[in-house]
Amino acid sequence: MTDLGPATVAPPRGRAGWRSMLPRWSPKLGVGLGLIAVIALFGLLGPLFVGDPVTIRDLGLTPPGGEHPLGTTLTGQDVLAQLAHSTRGSLHIGLLVGVLATLLSALFGIVGGYVGGVVDEAFSLFSNVMLVIPGLPLVIVVSAFVPADQRGSWTVAVVLAITGWAASARVLRAQTLSLRTRDYVAAARVAGEKPWRVIAVEVLPNLLPLLASQFVFSVVYAILSEAGLSFLGLGASNSSTLGTMLYYAQNGFALQREAWWWFVPPGLVIALFGCGLALVNFSIDEIINPGLRDIPRRPRAEAVREPAPAARTDDDVVLTVDRLSVVYQVDTPVHAVKDVSLTLRRGEILGLAGESGCGKTTLAYAVDRLHRPPAEITGGSVTFHDRDGEDVDVLALRPEELRAFRWSKLSVVFQGAMNALNPVITVRAQLEDVLITHRPGMSRAARRARCEEVLRLVGVDPRRLGSFPHELSGGMRQRVVIAMALLLDPQVMIMDEPTTALDVVVQRGILREIMRLRDEIGFAVLFITHDLPLLLELADRIAVMKDGEIVEHGPAEQVHREPRHPYTRRLLDSFPSLTGERGAFVRSGEPAPSGGAR
Amino acid sequence: MRYYARKFGFYLVALWAALTLNFFVPRLMPGNPVDVLMAKLAQRGGTVDPAARRAYELLLGADTSEPLFRQYLSYLGNMARGDLGVSVSAFPAPVSQVIADSLPWTLVLVGLATLLSFLLGVVLGAFVGWRRGTWLDGLVPATTVLAAVPYFWLALILVALLASGLGWFPLMGGYDVVLDPGWNADFIGSAAYHGTLPALTIVISSVGGWLLGMRNMMVSTTAEDYVLTAKAKGLKDSRVMIRYAARNAVLPSVAGFAISLGFVVAGSIITEQVFSYPGIGSKLLQAVQNNDYALMQGIFLVITVAVLGANLVVDLLYAVIDPRTRAGG
Repeated sequence: MTDLGPATVAPPRGRAGWRSMLPRWSPKLGVGLGLIAVIALFGLLGPLFVGDPVTIRDLGLTPPGGEHPLGTTLTGQDVLAQLAHSTRGSLHIGLLVGVLATLLSALFGIVGGYVGGVVDEAFSLFSNVMLVIPGLPLVIVVSAFVPADQRGSWTVAVVLAITGWAASARVLRAQTLSLRTRDYVAAARVAGEKPWRVIAVEVLPNLLPLLASQFVFSVVYAILSEAGLSFLGLGASNSSTLGTMLYYAQNGFALQREAWWWFVPPGLVIALFGCGLALVNFSIDEIINPGLRDIPRRPRAEAVREPAPAARTDDDVVLTVDRLSVVYQVDTPVHAVKDVSLTLRRGEILGLAGESGCGKTTLAYAVDRLHRPPAEITGGSVTFHDRDGEDVDVLALRPEELRAFRWSKLSVVFQGAMNALNPVITVRAQLEDVLITHRPGMSRAARRARCEEVLRLVGVDPRRLGSFPHELSGGMRQRVVIAMALLLDPQVMIMDEPTTALDVVVQRGILREIMRLRDEIGFAVLFITHDLPLLLELADRIAVMKDGEIVEHGPAEQVHREPRHPYTRRLLDSFPSLTGERGAFVRSGEPAPSGGAR
Repeated sequence: MRYYARKFGFYLVALWAALTLNFFVPRLMPGNPVDVLMAKLAQRGGTVDPAARRAYELLLGADTSEPLFRQYLSYLGNMARGDLGVSVSAFPAPVSQVIADSLPWTLVLVGLATLLSFLLGVVLGAFVGWRRGTWLDGLVPATTVLAAVPYFWLALILVALLASGLGWFPLMGGYDVVLDPGWNADFIGSAAYHGTLPALTIVISSVGGWLLGMRNMMVSTTAEDYVLTAKAKGLKDSRVMIRYAARNAVLPSVAGFAISLGFVVAGSIITEQVFSYPGIGSKLLQAVQNNDYALMQGIFLVITVAVLGANLVVDLLYAVIDPRTRAGG
């Protein structure tokens, strides 16, 4: 069976993350907790204040009001009293099953996932079989074989737990498998700690949010299933639950007699309780997967359209970035790009260097307006000076114009280009997509010819067009991505760490390819990397970025020989000295460890 | 190929597990169901011939001297031949006949409703996830209310409002009883009319789960590089959403189909009961009320086989939409 998917897989988290495991306060969480608290209190304390639920009175089906706030049943029993006792019964079963099912799923999921090998195979097969065998029909059959007088709430709870744990076990197993490979767990294992200790101390705390969420699911499942069983007359004989109430309502023809006060409240309590738990689960999900958090909606600040788009100073310039500022509008706004100005000349490679988090990627995205909320451009301008003499104010483009501008004038090769290809459609489909959209008049044959042409340009066999991304090696994927960027013959190509994930030999081949293509086709490249020595070989000019600002900007030679800013000097010093001449892809000895400037 | 072989192998194991469970459950439970059945059979004027008794004993277990393993083999043999015994409540019809009469109703109702709910949930979820940060986010908590509502209670409410209250739909049944079942427009129209409310119940109750799952995956997928690349490529928004984001986000929903299907089947059984729908769920409950153990067991097996079959189909479909499964394990 396949995994439940990345929705349930947490991002890496260290062991010191207790605070991050507490749900963030949100209206959803508040409402959820409120609903649960009110209903739990009603079930807990309610039975103490209401009368006897089974007392029969001579006022069957009295509508709500007066002595009976929620009316009476067919036999004159007080609905409110019944509701209080039934709520208690349902909660009792829900908690019981929740605990049992969570224990079972933890046993099969966590232990199996942690121990691995045959045990894991067996546990996993068992969970999957239990998962595909439909639960409720099985519960019905089992309940039917147990005589009514022996059907206690424990029996029902055990049967529900046995049929309801499998889905959770699968989720927990997937997460345990990923935790098992984390450094701190591996360290504990190597240190010879006993398996149960590693599970209890290293693994379990990180699974807590997931366990909590699975527990909540089990409780909802149990309350709903028990209600269903009781509604069918197959529930526990010695307890009264919301399902039993509905069973009597149905058999007392509450519906036909329009005694809504009899059958509406029990269902409503179930629905509201389930809803409360689900809302709490939202908050737990957001701990497990922070990407799901609500994006606060705030009025978008109008960007200061100042300075005006730069006029063409000379025909040699293809892109002007003028005093661009990008701010992440979070609780304490982060000024990621501060008043950055850059010019890119036709056919040149401009290197942009800086550590991770210095804002270089944010800058690159903003140039093509690919930044996403909460990032916002707060000022500055980006101007594209077209070959045919037109100046394009990129930040002022309307959505449809922007769409047409992208890729045909300026294409992007993204960081970690390994993931830049859609895993489920072929290379051909991803290349042709571009032509279908931007060149609607192009014939099928012409599209195919163009796709084959660009692949040949980057040195990939055109027969690879029919391949899926996972069938290509890392280097080949990167070449395909570059081929894709060439499709429309753009004048500017932004490359964001295009070779970081590749090994040195492949990296060198690709860099040589980029240089060659630039010489043949003549596009300009904005090349972003943390690897300054690499830029010294590759780039015509270099800009160094620190904390959102350009601190150094000049010809590569000059930056190398006489860096003006101390930060540039530090960056340069953190690498072994270079003896290779600029432009030649020869470095002294081993490649520079890239860790230095990260 | 390995993928397919593994899937078929898995579902064979699951089928065997279900058959075995079906064999042992009655034997582990207290009481002597065979005697109950034989007494009922005698009441109804059935001839208590040894063959019938033997079939029940194989199905339900009895204090015979025959070793358990021999019983188990004979039981598997009976199952392989499709011999599920004789129904007591519908005597003298064999269980297989009773099931064959009611199964099509459920297959059509639950099948169509599930398909509809899946499509609706996935499409809406993709949209809500894509337009994140807009008013559509408000839909997400609303769906949880729907998911937390018990199927049968929702059915009751719908009946109260739309059938008894407004009289738009019939209260119960699968078709107008004055019509003869058959392939004619009148009958099919009547069946569709009667099936609307049960189907609506199933769709409303299950759509929230699909929607939420799809929405969450969509949110994760939109952060992927290939979606950003697709945007940078200047593709139309709808194309990026469908071919790049949703196409990938739907995979876990399909992979998790098995879990959701279990809930839908469970809900449908109870929904059928509320509507007295002539499907297999109502038959199961009738069997329970009449202690018709043979019919009960048979229906459990048929539901299981149907669910396994549906999951197998979905797994095979998954291989079609995710090329990565075909390559590796």
